Amino acid sequence: MAAQPKPLPLEPRNYLKGGGLIGWLTTVDHKRVAVLYGVTALFLLGIGGLEALVMRLQLWEPNNHLISAHFYNEMFTMHGTTMIFLVLMPLELGFFTNFVMPLQIGARDVAFPRLNALSFWIFLVGAVLMHLSWIWGGFPNRGWFGYANLTESYYSPGLNIDFWDISLLILGVSTLLTAINFFVTMVMMRAKGMSYMRMTLFCWAMLVTVILVLLAFPALTVGLLFLLLDRFFGTHFYIAAYGATPILWQHLFWLFGHPEVYILALPSFGIISEIVPVFSRKPLFGYPMMVYSIILIGFLSYGVWGHHMFATGMGPVADSAFAITSMLIAIPTGIKIFSWIATVWGGSLRMKTAFYFALAMIVEFTIGGLSGIMHASAPVDLQQTDSYFVVAHFHYVLFGGVMFALLGAIYYWWPKVTGKMLSEKLGKWQFWLTIIGFNGTFFPMHWLGTWGMPRRVYTYGAGLGWTGLNQFETVCAFILGFSFLLMYINLVLSTARGEDAPADPWDGRTLEWAVSSPPPEYNFANPVEVEGRDAYWLMKYGRGGAREAQMFAEGKIPPVPQNMQAPPEKPIHVPTPSIFPLLIAGCLFMVAIGLLIGWWRIMEIGGGTMFICIVGMCLEYPKWGEKSHNLDEEAPHSLGIDLRKAGLWTFLGSECVFFASLIATYVVYKSRNFGGPGASILEIPLTSGSTFALLMSSLMMVLALHSIEQGRVKWMRFWLVCTMALGCVFLGVEAFEFLGFFQKGLAMQTDLFGQCFYTLVGTHGVHVTIGVIWLGSILASSFRKNFGKSKALSVEMVGLYWHFVDIVWVVIFTLVYLMQQVKGA
Amino acid sequence: MKRARSIFASAAIFVLAALLQGCGGGEQHPLNTITTKSDFARWITNLFVEITVLDLLVLAAVLITFILAIFFFSTRVGNPAPPSTTTSDLRVEIAYTLIPALIIIAILVPTVRTIFRSQPYLPPKGSLQIEVVAHQWWWDFSYMDSSHINTANELHIPTGVPIRLNLESNDVIHSFWVPQLGGKRDVVPGQANELTFTASVPGEYLGECAEFCGESHANMRFRVFVQTPEQFAAWEKAQEAPPGTIPASETAAAEGQKVFENSPCTTCHTISGVSKGYIGPNLTHFGSRTTMAGGIEQNDPHNVAEWITDPNQVKPGVYMPALGLRGTQLNDLVAYLESLK
Repeated sequence: MAAQPKPLPLEPRNYLKGGGLIGWLTTVDHKRVAVLYGVTALFLLGIGGLEALVMRLQLWEPNNHLISAHFYNEMFTMHGTTMIFLVLMPLELGFFTNFVMPLQIGARDVAFPRLNALSFWIFLVGAVLMHLSWIWGGFPNRGWFGYANLTESYYSPGLNIDFWDISLLILGVSTLLTAINFFVTMVMMRAKGMSYMRMTLFCWAMLVTVILVLLAFPALTVGLLFLLLDRFFGTHFYIAAYGATPILWQHLFWLFGHPEVYILALPSFGIISEIVPVFSRKPLFGYPMMVYSIILIGFLSYGVWGHHMFATGMGPVADSAFAITSMLIAIPTGIKIFSWIATVWGGSLRMKTAFYFALAMIVEFTIGGLSGIMHASAPVDLQQTDSYFVVAHFHYVLFGGVMFALLGAIYYWWPKVTGKMLSEKLGKWQFWLTIIGFNGTFFPMHWLGTWGMPRRVYTYGAGLGWTGLNQFETVCAFILGFSFLLMYINLVLSTARGEDAPADPWDGRTLEWAVSSPPPEYNFANPVEVEGRDAYWLMKYGRGGAREAQMFAEGKIPPVPQNMQAPPEKPIHVPTPSIFPLLIAGCLFMVAIGLLIGWWRIMEIGGGTMFICIVGMCLEYPKWGEKSHNLDEEAPHSLGIDLRKAGLWTFLGSECVFFASLIATYVVYKSRNFGGPGASILEIPLTSGSTFALLMSSLMMVLALHSIEQGRVKWMRFWLVCTMALGCVFLGVEAFEFLGFFQKGLAMQTDLFGQCFYTLVGTHGVHVTIGVIWLGSILASSFRKNFGKSKALSVEMVGLYWHFVDIVWVVIFTLVYLMQQVKGA
Repeated sequence: MKRARSIFASAAIFVLAALLQGCGGGEQHPLNTITTKSDFARWITNLFVEITVLDLLVLAAVLITFILAIFFFSTRVGNPAPPSTTTSDLRVEIAYTLIPALIIIAILVPTVRTIFRSQPYLPPKGSLQIEVVAHQWWWDFSYMDSSHINTANELHIPTGVPIRLNLESNDVIHSFWVPQLGGKRDVVPGQANELTFTASVPGEYLGECAEFCGESHANMRFRVFVQTPEQFAAWEKAQEAPPGTIPASETAAAEGQKVFENSPCTTCHTISGVSKGYIGPNLTHFGSRTTMAGGIEQNDPHNVAEWITDPNQVKPGVYMPALGLRGTQLNDLVAYLESLK
């Protein structure tokens, strides 16, 4: 399996060419993965749009009976879930970032190409699964934020919420893998000279976005995990009758959900910051301010989730706090808008379709932002939340802000992706129809909301004064739908027989325009050296501005500089294609569907095959334990750290939020516990022993790493066995302890303490188990021939993970066991 | 291209006309959030108007600079000058950070004041406390004053008296919202939420559930009758009394009472002196209500008969079963219910 990558031919080969169907299924090229994401997301965009049109038809008149209440609820749930998780995020992260970001930072690929492919296939599994519930009794129908306790099995007995829950978990895994991948890529694989303050604004936006993903998604994962346990195992995480509160879901969901808004919005800010300077032929105004405002927005987005919950009765103090933090976000957001306008001011504007959409985004997003200020004012929000006013608001943000930016990005980058220019004429038609359709559909919703129309109603009474505007909106929604049809026609026709795109059709400023359209498989033939912001602009015009003024007067775009067209100086290694990402995702699908419909056999087969595939993927890595692929072998920004180690660190950072959410839930629910044995059941002496074993295992781990660094493989094996043995002792004591608790009548379903205790400690136990398996695999591979000093990294990585798990246990042991006697804790 | 322009022009006129039509009067919009019929609603509206004015000023500033920028610097208009290469201007940057900050402060101060003013920790002195229990998909109101009235879907309150609603949920999360009387408040299982306001103008105000609560969320409406203190006292007195006298025998209503007593109706519905059921709405004074089925239909014999025949047809997902009552039995039952004044 472990084939060495073969050197590519020296003449550039278009990344789209060759390989056939198998080539696409096994691809790990970031550009091909991006295209897979793009095609899937654009298809799902059509589906999500049709769902919206069905809703608009139902709202045509009062007491309409076109579709049932049940079907309407399915439609708005699927519309929201699809647009956010299956369209906007994959278009931004999966499509544009995947394609453009490595090119903009001058890299050959992302840090982990196979992981990138795996992300896509897992995303596809999640997307398919979300829709498959239709076969088993209907689509999910509890809204995209599925408020507990309505989602509990008592109120939603069908399989559809199970499908929704598990699909979101799967999509979360996919997004998390992507975020780790992009984070490491952007931090460590930038070209020589590409310092942070020379990165494009798009890359900056994405850097902050992936940090938000890493730190926000775990909260959603925990929320979904609780729901899963409630629905499958009869726990009561969201059931008030047992002392729990359904508000927990809202805290966890919005702790994820508000950063999520910026996970969607920041990339669009990045896109606009690319398009506006290019078509204004002027550098971005206030670059440092733009960077700081992005960082500030990312930071603040964690402190504002409560503004989704003003109506839940958090009390005046919390309401005021969240109102203040929410309004503060307006300041960095304002900086962005004014900087864009200042960029346009004094430029020489070329009115292409991409620029049209970018300009429109600035205005539409401003409207959405201004109504956002109203929602940040808690009392006003009490009138507007859950009404059509808020529907208008978030469509101005997510459609006017994000979708418009994405439309701009499509018109801007499509020539780079496909090598074909899009039709400007169709583009302008689409633009005006989109503007009319969009504003016509969503602007009147401000009035409907002010007139008291609640959202998510499948019907409304006559005589409320809502009919006229609803009919107007429905007409405009169809205009909007038609405008997207034009876009699809444009994409298909232009790609099939449009005019060929030059490398640099827009007189671009960033590195992706320095390579041919479509780019060669290997992106850049030779390592790139960056001399400043707007790297490519400097390459073709140099400093001083004389050439710039001359070319401007002649109305010409300079050709790509010779050194960027030079043939490769060294043989090129690109990552080898792999079938395993596809296989692993396929197995994941089997496991998920088996779990959902109770077809255990298919679940076992899928799980077993998946394990084999993961082992296969680990062994497949062609340069196992050695240097990874990197365009510039000097790796100027690698900080001397291996990419994989950086990836693991990133993952552990995300895990911190995961455990923090579990621990916070435990702390809150322990104080609300009643009935059942409660925390008094815990035995500190026994667990102290196992804690000691686990801490000692960390010492063994250090010794194992030390041995391999000295090249003493046998000693390393010995210490590894010791580490595993102590880990097993810990797990054994935990199993013994759990068994004892069961006998004393504490099950997961018994009380709040039981469910939180087993979930927290059990999740940690799973982490230890994975660590033991990982250690075992290192032990097994140490019997391979060439195992030696050079493989120290593998041991170091498992060591990092092991120490992390131990540290988590120290926190759990302190909070759960030692503090159980502290009053009020 | 010319034809395209004319299409766009007519579309623009269409939009403007529709928006102007939208601005017209509040009277035909019975759920209007900015017609203020209580102190709570008035505070919110004042804040809303202030923010709207500031918002519109900002929007106007953005739009004007924007349109000017496009007008001056678009290559289509006139001769393009070579673009400037400015990348920053400290004065501009300070201005566009400071001005929004000042605007935010101007909004925050009244916001925080209103937050504290509208959420008193204790019920105000002399307030009328009412317990509101939300069910999928109807509302249950119990008066916590001396009258102990229990009624459903139609709330009566007096003007000038502070009202304190104690909100509880029987099942999932709902949200109590009467737009003309102020903001909404979620009704959360296991959590005591309150809403405090003083109504100022007598009238009939529509309310609705504002948090998605399942299949018939759209059908969970209600009414609030704000009355002068005298009218309210009279209403309360009538509700305290048993539902009129027992109907004379041989009439349809008397037959209907027997049908009711001998049917499964009694397991869920209370009629004072007849049955004690707590799952469905209290029907003691059903005949005195103007609406039925969570406020979605007028309370008349035809609608009541239709409802009893197949509740699910009227309100999808409803827990009340179709009991298979037909013909005279059904008519008698309807007559009985309508007699409960």
